[in-house]
Amino acid sequence: MPPRFPRLLIAWVLLLVLLGVEFGVAMLSFAPWLRVLILLPAMAMAAIVGIVFMEIGRAPVVARGFATAGLFWLLVLLGLGSMDPLTRTYYHTTVEHPE
Amino acid sequence: MSDTYAPHEFQYSSAEHQAGTALAGMWLFLATEVLFFGGLFLTWIYARSQNLAGFDAGARETELWIGTLNTGILLTSSFVYSTGLAFARVGNNRRLMQCCFAAIGLGLAFLALKFGLEWSGDFDKHLWPVGPDFKFAGEPTEGGARLFYVFYFIGTGLHGVHMVGGIVLVAMIAWRARRREFSPLYVTPVEVVGMYWSFVDIIWIILYPLIYLIGRS
Repeated sequence: MPPRFPRLLIAWVLLLVLLGVEFGVAMLSFAPWLRVLILLPAMAMAAIVGIVFMEIGRAPVVARGFATAGLFWLLVLLGLGSMDPLTRTYYHTTVEHPE
Repeated sequence: MSDTYAPHEFQYSSAEHQAGTALAGMWLFLATEVLFFGGLFLTWIYARSQNLAGFDAGARETELWIGTLNTGILLTSSFVYSTGLAFARVGNNRRLMQCCFAAIGLGLAFLALKFGLEWSGDFDKHLWPVGPDFKFAGEPTEGGARLFYVFYFIGTGLHGVHMVGGIVLVAMIAWRARRREFSPLYVTPVEVVGMYWSFVDIIWIILYPLIYLIGRS
């Protein structure tokens, strides 16, 4: 087996464990707005794939810059785009119809 | 190809320079892909926040076992391909080729489960959201469920297109490994294709809870 194989194997097992955790947590009952916390194991899994399988740490500096920029603009996109749906307030009003 | 000499194109100062440029180019492409799928994720945030009950009711109609099994399949395919890359770095083209075939097999299994089984079942249940045929059990929440299935079909469809592209690329690496084109000094194409293959995996890792899990809990 090649020298990197144990590291890859550990990452794979960890990914499957996190998948199990994510699946198990999703079976619990949460308030609708807390359910996005189910994304936390998914983010950890994405980080493991990026670090171990995609080897971002071994990439040239400019490549790491591109990866960081991609994540940064994704956060800007999701952050600014979410402002309206996450902060909108609905006021109950009564409409009087003229007789 | 020789194991002692790493060739490079004339415009690069060295093989390392060429390899670094290829890797940086792929990361730049993947950064554009992140923003491409970012729009899809933003759609999920917006559509769910405005149609919470219907959106979650739609999610509960999805085939959880297929989504979960497919996630395991993709994680395994990334692991297998990365193992092939590790073999390529020690000069073992034969093992690399075998790992590519295994990754392709897992990718095809994913597509068969997703489009051959799950999508066809969705069509049978009249869950295609465009047109008057859409039927959903929870009628008061039909509007949100229809939006969910717009997200579902676009998201899984786009991911499937990327999967097909990845399978073609991995097949090309297998073909080149069969011709013993890679050596410990030249594995850049294997690395670049591996980055793409794992990126497609990451997209599914995010899509899986958005489609199957969050609406269920």
